[in-house]
Amino acid sequence: MTLWFLRGLRRGVVTTRYPARPDDSAADLPTPPVFRAEDLDQALADRLVAVCPSHALRRDADALVFDVGACTACGRCQEAAPGAVTSSGEFELAATSRGHLVKRIPLRREARA
Amino acid sequence: MTTSDPSIHPQRTAAGATPPEGGPDAHEEQATAELLRQRIASQFGRSLHIRTLDTGSCAACEQEIRLLTAPHYDLHRLGFFFTPAPRHADLLMVTGPMIRAFDIAARKTYDAMPGPKIVVATGACALGGVYQPDAFVHGSVGGVLPADVWIPGCPPSPLALLHGLLVAVDRLAEKVAGLSFASDDRAGEGLQ
Repeated sequence: MTLWFLRGLRRGVVTTRYPARPDDSAADLPTPPVFRAEDLDQALADRLVAVCPSHALRRDADALVFDVGACTACGRCQEAAPGAVTSSGEFELAATSRGHLVKRIPLRREARA
Repeated sequence: MTTSDPSIHPQRTAAGATPPEGGPDAHEEQATAELLRQRIASQFGRSLHIRTLDTGSCAACEQEIRLLTAPHYDLHRLGFFFTPAPRHADLLMVTGPMIRAFDIAARKTYDAMPGPKIVVATGACALGGVYQPDAFVHGSVGGVLPADVWIPGCPPSPLALLHGLLVAVDRLAEKVAGLSFASDDRAGEGLQ
């Protein structure tokens, strides 16, 4: 506090820009999930769509459509598939177009080698 | 403020500031629109006043918005201020799934704001996540007010809100357009 005050007196500027430095509390924030493309087959995608309570996940023919805007970061998909779905750690998600928030995650080919 | 200049007070429509398609003047109009956008951005780059609009939210978003004025986040250092009057506001921060009973109040609030104005849809409800359209809610802000910036999160943390506000006034670039939310890199390293 004293250092901050003296620095402000010396420079004449007491405020900082955003973000001045990474915020410690940001690590604890719930964040939208990241999907591992190699684990994502049709059965898993259907299970994730069924478990999502906020209509953030949708199945297309060959992709899982993830609407980041609709995601509440509740973590149910991570619970349903712990290895395949992890937390992204991204919370600065503001978008200038609604379409930027809709992500298509390609499903794995069904042919199992 | 050059308030006498008519070009900085464009008439907003629900479709945003996009010029009409086609026609011989389309390119000229697009150039004009881009110039206008830059001038508006420079206007918003100064001190900016925010009016919040709760359209049926659970108040978690309001809790986070309230925290913006706390010393840790200190919204005022960036030149943002909250105002109780829409007539003094440059930016409308809309939370909640836009309940239909609030239509007239939302429209009045939007109309009362002087142009140019920004609408920021805040939280998963306002973005169309939690509630689907039914007899009581529109389900998202988009159909009622022309949103310019979308801030996801349930609720968005104060840091996310700060980032969203700075994106809204063109002081920070948005990050989410470049994110894929699929970890393809690890799949490549897996050697399978």
